[in-house]
Amino acid sequence: MKVKIRQWNGVASWLWVANDENCGICRMPFNGCCPDCKVPGDDCPLVWGQCSHCFHMHCILKWLNSQQVQQQCPMCRQEWKFKE
Amino acid sequence: MWNLNQRDLDNLDCSGSFLHFHPAASFVRTELCVWGCQVSPGGSGSDQTVVDSLALLSAHGLDQLLGSWLLETLQMRLSSCVVPEFWSGLKQPENEVEERDRAWVLLTAFRTLLDRLDPFLGGLERLRTWQAEGRCSPCGTKPGGLQDRAFTIIRALLLFSPSPVLQERVLEFYSRTFSVYMNQEGEAEDGGDAADGPEGGVCPGCSIQMGQCWCREALEQLQELSHILSKLQLLEWVSSKAVTFILHKLIEQRMEQHCRGEYERSFLLEFQEWLELVLGWLSKVFASEADRDPPSVPSVPSVPSTPSVQDGQPSSPILKQWRCHMHQFFCRIYVNMRIDELFSIIRDFPESKAAIEDLKFCLERTNQRQQLLTSLKSAFESRLLHPGVHTSDILTVYISAIKALRELDPSMVILQVACQPIRKYLRTREDTVRQIVAGLTGDAEGCTDLASELSRGDPVTLEMQESDEEGNDPEDWTPDPTDAVPDKTGSKRRSSDIISLLVSIYGSKDIFIDEYRAVLADRLLHQLNYNTAREIRNVELLKLRFGESHMHYCEVMLKDMADSRRINSNIREEESRLGEDEQPPLSLSAIILSSEFWPTLKEEKLELPPVVCQAMEDYTHRYEKLKAMRTLSWKPHLGSVTLDVELEDRTLTHLTVSPIHAAIILHFQDKSSWTLEELSVKLGAPKELVHRKLALWQQHGVLREEAGGRYYVVERGSSKEKMERSVMLIDSDEERDSNTTTQSEQREEKLQLFWAYIQAMLTNLDSMTLDRIHSMLRMFVATGPVVTEMDVNELEAFLQRKVREHQLMMSAGVYRLPKSN
Repeated sequence: MKVKIRQWNGVASWLWVANDENCGICRMPFNGCCPDCKVPGDDCPLVWGQCSHCFHMHCILKWLNSQQVQQQCPMCRQEWKFKE
Repeated sequence: MWNLNQRDLDNLDCSGSFLHFHPAASFVRTELCVWGCQVSPGGSGSDQTVVDSLALLSAHGLDQLLGSWLLETLQMRLSSCVVPEFWSGLKQPENEVEERDRAWVLLTAFRTLLDRLDPFLGGLERLRTWQAEGRCSPCGTKPGGLQDRAFTIIRALLLFSPSPVLQERVLEFYSRTFSVYMNQEGEAEDGGDAADGPEGGVCPGCSIQMGQCWCREALEQLQELSHILSKLQLLEWVSSKAVTFILHKLIEQRMEQHCRGEYERSFLLEFQEWLELVLGWLSKVFASEADRDPPSVPSVPSVPSTPSVQDGQPSSPILKQWRCHMHQFFCRIYVNMRIDELFSIIRDFPESKAAIEDLKFCLERTNQRQQLLTSLKSAFESRLLHPGVHTSDILTVYISAIKALRELDPSMVILQVACQPIRKYLRTREDTVRQIVAGLTGDAEGCTDLASELSRGDPVTLEMQESDEEGNDPEDWTPDPTDAVPDKTGSKRRSSDIISLLVSIYGSKDIFIDEYRAVLADRLLHQLNYNTAREIRNVELLKLRFGESHMHYCEVMLKDMADSRRINSNIREEESRLGEDEQPPLSLSAIILSSEFWPTLKEEKLELPPVVCQAMEDYTHRYEKLKAMRTLSWKPHLGSVTLDVELEDRTLTHLTVSPIHAAIILHFQDKSSWTLEELSVKLGAPKELVHRKLALWQQHGVLREEAGGRYYVVERGSSKEKMERSVMLIDSDEERDSNTTTQSEQREEKLQLFWAYIQAMLTNLDSMTLDRIHSMLRMFVATGPVVTEMDVNELEAFLQRKVREHQLMMSAGVYRLPKSN
């Protein structure tokens, strides 16, 4: 007997490779989106800081904009720098 | 007038003293006799004598005695001979067989009665004219008084102890003349009705041999009888009962024949015409009454004064009254019949619209709403709401009921009250939501109403319902009917929109949206192509109805499909750039989900064969390259596989199976015989599942089970017909599992989530009532699509369960956590 597979339609779900489940700022899941967004994934990406904490991009930008003096990671209070 | 009265007074004075005068009294008696001979039956004498006598009587002030004397004579004559004669005449021919003869006897009896009473009537008439001329004042009161009294005496004595014979005869006679009349009129108006009569040799009117037809005679008799009766002012008394009875019976009969079971035509006009025809007959029955009526004062005492103004109307008040009666009969009978049939009418609704409109018209004229409600409710309960009826059928009837009853009663009260049992019952059915959603998306067979209703959906009216009706003119407000259920929502909430009504069965639309999400997920995952045009349309329509925010998750799901397609083609392209030998062994495409936005998918363990796993890994690598920092988590048991199976003597091509089926058959490629245990271990799936899935291949005739639980590949088809048979079976046996978790599983999860909140609340606040817990939960628990609104009862049941499990204590209406373990 020989089985020839013409087409395999699989189902998968995508997920961020992150060290946490939820965004530390909005507490929403990373695999979802930030409160301001409607669509997850490309439209609401994650960013990592050099301290290796990550957030929804929109969340951390909002946070950084609200900081007057110094821009710190909201989790570890180190100076915030985007990871290249 | 004044003159007359003045004289009356004088006369009264004189007569008082005069009667005591002895000699003169005998003179008076003589005069009375002379006069009486003239006036009373059998009397003789010239007019001149009478006038002279009258003058003499008047002169002595004795004219007042005339009236009472006449009445007394009438009474005596009546009771002594006229009345007994009438009754015996009526009964006389004991066993009369011929209807025609019976009619004759009836008429004769009345004729004799009239003959006997005629002289008295003449006398009364003469007195009346004398009085009018002012020659005397026979009774001292108003002009008509004496006559009224005379007729009352006649009625009283004649009908004091009526024998049933009279009613029977009258009824029979009227029925006959009715059918004769209707036959003639019907012939005149439309030939079709009478066509069946003649060739049978039987006259359709009097239903005897054509040669002996007495139709004409009957009508003449009718006229005469009416004349006599009206002359004696007996018409109302003798006929009304019979006429009423006949009308009732005939309307009922006609309705049974024409209207029962016939909902697609309106009968109002038809009946209107027919009733006009009947009115023609009535006008014959009450003919002389009608002729005589207009000038004089209401001469029929039984007629309650009708306030209606009848200027310029040809028909007399009495006919108008009968017409009124007839319409009332008609409406009542019609409503009764339709109420009996209402369930069937609703079932056939769009076709039975005419019947509903008729019913509406008649119902407004009779006071039978309550009867309708009760009957419809019990019809629903006995015919619809039992376990033998499929949910989709109940929904179909409910939808037609909504449509039909909103025609019938625009205030929607009937709908609300009568359908309460249906809604209550539907709440107990598990598949209600799924059926409604299937209906909405057009998946349900037979039930296309909902889909079209959805696409028809008019967002403007929907908005209106939700707003506070501020735009409406307060002048247009109408109060609710009295049978409305008094509730706080009032008429505003009684919407007639089918979908909102269905959705509100459960009180919350979130359940429906969740269910729709589950259905949508199923549909998308079972689709082989990425064609989502129809789903997009549905989601757009639902968005109009439920609002953007509620359908947001579904939109993301649809977007996932589009994205998946793009990613697939990207990856395909990349693969095509590879060298010949690097081509992947398996053509794999994927649907990539945003897990947060899809309903919870069932987790099943399944180890796929290495070749597939390899392909998936490759795919994941390419995806990771495409989307930085993202990866894929495969759901091996989901999806679909198209494959060919080549056997020694045959090839099965283009089979579409589930991944587990494919995995099984791929294993048989490496090794031609497996036991169930081996396969189960290899696939990492439970034995029962594998066993179930093996059945498909057995049906295809690819595998066979042998003793010892081993499965073998059937390389050579043993017989052709066996294969054909098994192929037939595939579809029936192939179950289409839902990929999403069921409603109740989700609910359970949700309650478990709430439990954490409840515990925290009770720890902080010590004790709380049910209502308090409920409102706190509503306040604090974010309502995403998974966490749907929960009603108090459900919460109470959940808390009670926790109490039974000793995780909670309840006393005096408050819940608290048990003291620390």
